Amino acid sequence: MKQEHFRAWEFAAFSAVTLAALCLCVCVGSVNISLKDTLLVLKNAVAGLPQGNATASTILLSVRLPRVLCVALSGASLALCGAAMQGLLKNPLADSSTLGVSSGAALGAVVAIAFGIQLPALPIAGTMGTAIVFAFASMLGILALAYKLDYSLSTNTIILIGVVFSMFVSSAMSVVITFAADKVQQITFWTMGSLQGSSYFNAAVLGVTLLLCGGVILLQSRELNAFAVGEDTANHIGVHVRRTKLLVLIAVSVLIGVCVSIGGTIAFVGLITPHGVRLLVGPNHKRLLPASCFSGMIFLLLADLIARTILKPVELPIGVVTSFIGAVVFVLIFYRARKG
Amino acid sequence: MLEVKDLSVRYGQHTILDRVGFSVREGQWLMIVGPNGAGKSTALSAISQTAPYTGKILLGGRDSAKWKPAARAKYVGVLTQNHHVGYSFSVGEVVKLGRYAHSAGMFSAKNSDDAQAVERALEITGLTAQQGQNVLTLSGGELQRVFLAQVFAQNPKLLLLDEPTNHLDLVYQKQIFSLVSQWLKQPGRAVVSVVHDLSLARAYGSHALLLHQGRCVSQGEAKSVLRAENLNAVYQMDVPAWMQGLFAQWQGE
Amino acid sequence: MKRILALILALSLALTLFAGCKQEDASAQSGAITVTDMAGRTITLNEPATRVVALTASDCEILYAIGAGETLVGRGEFCDYPPQVSEVESVQSGYDTNIEQIIALAPQVLLMSTMAQSEAQVKQLEDAGIRVVVSDAKDIAGVYTAIELIGKLMGKEADAAAVISGMQQTFAEISANPAGDGTQTIYFEVSPLEYGLWTAGSGTFMDEIAVMMGLKNCFADVSGWAEISEEQVIARNPDYIVTVSPMGGADFTPEQEIMGRAGWETITAVQNAAIFNLPDNELSRPANRLADGAKLLYDFITAQK
Repeated sequence: MKQEHFRAWEFAAFSAVTLAALCLCVCVGSVNISLKDTLLVLKNAVAGLPQGNATASTILLSVRLPRVLCVALSGASLALCGAAMQGLLKNPLADSSTLGVSSGAALGAVVAIAFGIQLPALPIAGTMGTAIVFAFASMLGILALAYKLDYSLSTNTIILIGVVFSMFVSSAMSVVITFAADKVQQITFWTMGSLQGSSYFNAAVLGVTLLLCGGVILLQSRELNAFAVGEDTANHIGVHVRRTKLLVLIAVSVLIGVCVSIGGTIAFVGLITPHGVRLLVGPNHKRLLPASCFSGMIFLLLADLIARTILKPVELPIGVVTSFIGAVVFVLIFYRARKG
Repeated sequence: MLEVKDLSVRYGQHTILDRVGFSVREGQWLMIVGPNGAGKSTALSAISQTAPYTGKILLGGRDSAKWKPAARAKYVGVLTQNHHVGYSFSVGEVVKLGRYAHSAGMFSAKNSDDAQAVERALEITGLTAQQGQNVLTLSGGELQRVFLAQVFAQNPKLLLLDEPTNHLDLVYQKQIFSLVSQWLKQPGRAVVSVVHDLSLARAYGSHALLLHQGRCVSQGEAKSVLRAENLNAVYQMDVPAWMQGLFAQWQGE
Repeated sequence: MKRILALILALSLALTLFAGCKQEDASAQSGAITVTDMAGRTITLNEPATRVVALTASDCEILYAIGAGETLVGRGEFCDYPPQVSEVESVQSGYDTNIEQIIALAPQVLLMSTMAQSEAQVKQLEDAGIRVVVSDAKDIAGVYTAIELIGKLMGKEADAAAVISGMQQTFAEISANPAGDGTQTIYFEVSPLEYGLWTAGSGTFMDEIAVMMGLKNCFADVSGWAEISEEQVIARNPDYIVTVSPMGGADFTPEQEIMGRAGWETITAVQNAAIFNLPDNELSRPANRLADGAKLLYDFITAQK
């Protein structure tokens, strides 16, 4: 039998590339800090020694490092969610955005901004909380509607409802903006999405969420394999179909809610990464899911690096970069798939 | 092994199955026959709990609805007609999914029973050499063999076949049916299948259930159910004459 | 029904023709007002406008400043100064500019910025007999031009000139006795960190005001309005920070939010608490209140020393 799990060397290779991308993104930024200074700052930070160069150490430790961590964790989360949805719905075009979860989460964040729902100590906690609640609520709404329409909760039903739901959300967002005219500036800025101002706290929240929800998703690898072969197959071989769906969808909505509230809606990562990864490691979720995590990190890290540095000191929105790269890669993949 | 009482299935105003009852014992091969829309496949879906129904379905004496999915899968295996695999899984990976219900818990990665069962299933179906092949490159007949291997690896006691040879050419029809009848020879097993082809039903079935517009017209031993008077009434034509006419061309070859 | 529709159509057509004739007559008269707007278009009015719709907040402010506030019959939804402007009917602006609503208000003049107009929209309005005037100031000189332009349209040239000279005087006082010596740096924060930092680069009125105070804009190398990297702000280490962001809540002010940012403690402005908040858009709109904003900022900086 062919090996199903990640081989040790594959694991090492993915880790090494991810680590290299992480290092590159810490060393290169909008402000030039020499490699020597960077290493010195990191050495002092690890050893707990006082920092000689205050500006360099602040930029590296307070600004760049937390942002790079947030970017990496967001990339991993988005790609993992994309891979899980594509397996669950047996649809290579499925993603949290096609399901309506991202738009639901974004609506939640906009509502929080519009009506000033926030905790005094942590400005982001309000938007994050409502984004998760809305992502989860949209998931429940989509599921409830789907169950009403279709007992077996088929792929087509979910995607159709997701599309309809996204449209509904975008009109609801317009209504919210109309009612909160004084907050329109904030809402406009928010919907453009930015990973600027990422903190270690954000990274920790993302990390814990990824650990919990990602863990749930990874434990469903075998079930996701069954779904990817076909929902009937999953049913016939004894998968608890509805429980698996619910578990995966809940884990995805929580992850998406947290990601959207921290970095806004970032397009294409969840859609494109699992596609590329499947070409490398095959469709088996025992390999696909961890590989998607690593690749999502690498993809988003590099996209963010471009966004930060290409026009420095000006920044590009990261979504512009991911959409651009994503579209090109997508065309390449389809071209190769057609030829092959 | 299987007992069905008062099985009814309704979708809105439509009644697909109307108070159907039958039972299957060890060693039997029950053929469910009838014209299109008679409710044949729906009956199988109800037994595998993929369609809502009213009535009772007992598996080994216990209410099928109360079984946990994994436990039910160890008792009942299903093979349906059309397969469209979503991604480029290998033959081995698809067959191995059949062991899902058997490998208890999420952490038992290695299980020699599983590996053996998969090997055996691949061997029986003649797929050992192809186990690394991408299923998207297989023909319909080969793919059906892969799913038969999957259900063999699942090792159920009751096998449900839903028109498993539709759209398959004769070579594969013969292969699938002889593999299933081979499988049935082991003690403690039974087969229920839905077929269109009345000749196949007569050739392989020990018992038969004739459905028409959701109701049971006749049931019992295959030879007594699949008789001219029953079939002609249901199909509204002279079935034996049509069949004989078809086969007469081959005489003297 | 169809006949009535046709009748209405014919009537309205006749009316526009009639209006067209009248217009030509008027331009021949000596009392006609002819102006060139800030998109280079020539606009003629036969008498000062008495009904005006202004879509941008800055144009509303200018109208009130020259004493023509009562001519305002419609305003863009974001106009909020002076307070009495909120009593004027609000009109959708920007991408969703509500042409029907503007036509229903029957103004003689519509003031809008180039950002808000599409050619099709302008044509529709002009077909309805409304003169579209573009006011689009990017710098202080542009603000003077806009005030002059609006003054002329309203027949309030003298008031406009007074407003301009008032502004010029304030600016002159500031530059005569600059708060800085050209070495201190200032950073303008237009949007807060959470949404990505936007700042004012060279070619903006904020940059001009910094220069006249003897301060150096940290991001003078960036042109116009742009999103810049957080690490750049820390590396450039401004002596003063000005925020015009709408951030803040009941429990904390935008200044506190900036002071509390991780990594910003190395910035001189944060160490000295030299952060100034202008919450009422004195410095963010190209209108007459720029002088007030400049004065407030000037007083803040001189008080810091």
